[in-house]
Amino acid sequence: MAVRHLNVEVRLESDVAVLDLMGEINGFAEETLNTAYAEADAKDTKTILLNFEGVDYINSTGIALIVGLLAKARVSKRRLVAYGLSDHYVEIFEITRLSDFMSVFPDEESAMSATSVS
Amino acid sequence: MTAQRPSDSRRRNGTWRVLRELSVPSEPGNERMAMETVAEAIRDLDIRGENLERLKTAVAEATMNAMEHGNHYRAELPVLIEVSASDTQLSVKITDEGSGPPAFHAETPDLEAKLEGMQSPRGWGLFLIKNMVDDMEVTGDERHHTVELLLDLERQAEGGK
Repeated sequence: MAVRHLNVEVRLESDVAVLDLMGEINGFAEETLNTAYAEADAKDTKTILLNFEGVDYINSTGIALIVGLLAKARVSKRRLVAYGLSDHYVEIFEITRLSDFMSVFPDEESAMSATSVS
Repeated sequence: MTAQRPSDSRRRNGTWRVLRELSVPSEPGNERMAMETVAEAIRDLDIRGENLERLKTAVAEATMNAMEHGNHYRAELPVLIEVSASDTQLSVKITDEGSGPPAFHAETPDLEAKLEGMQSPRGWGLFLIKNMVDDMEVTGDERHHTVELLLDLERQAEGGK
């Protein structure tokens, strides 16, 4: 089974930076993920959305990379929000307590709505 | 293939069938192949949906740990995986060629501490495994480490975690 290396596209939607994540979040993803996050960070928005709809695998190294993004967001006082996770990864975000520090929504519409009212 | 396991513990009573044995080269990313092969091997058992996803994550994490810490990602050193089942339990044994105590991050991950830089961001593997299966056992000697993942098939059939 070939590794689906992570590809990330960064876009700006209504003053919110969105990272569209596609592929696997594992040890191979580190440089791509951090480069994309830096690009989103440079847009200087209060909130950055992580779109996991195109992600079909996250391993423990990937969890560590997401922890790293959360740490960066905390330093720069940005809000990190996730959407599009499968039920399984929602459970993993709960077990690891990532969802205590990063709101999780089912889709972009609900994530954007919550972002705009808070 | 049918194997009679020693009845030296309550967990191992009964007759066990080996469903699949595989050898995985220790190369980054191969844990996904391992977890999909295990999922294929148990397709006739009543493990579905979220329960199957939990098992796959546990298999992937244990295989990754074996490749990284046991075999140091030396491709010529395989990780051996044996999938077997009794009437009541599923066992997945994952064996590497490491010596000494099995290497898992012993520290319980604390996300707040990780965000504050007090803990490494890594160290989630064992924590995830423990939360994904009903039981696990880690053994080792001078030449091998084995992590055995156990699922209670009756609880799985009832839809339990």
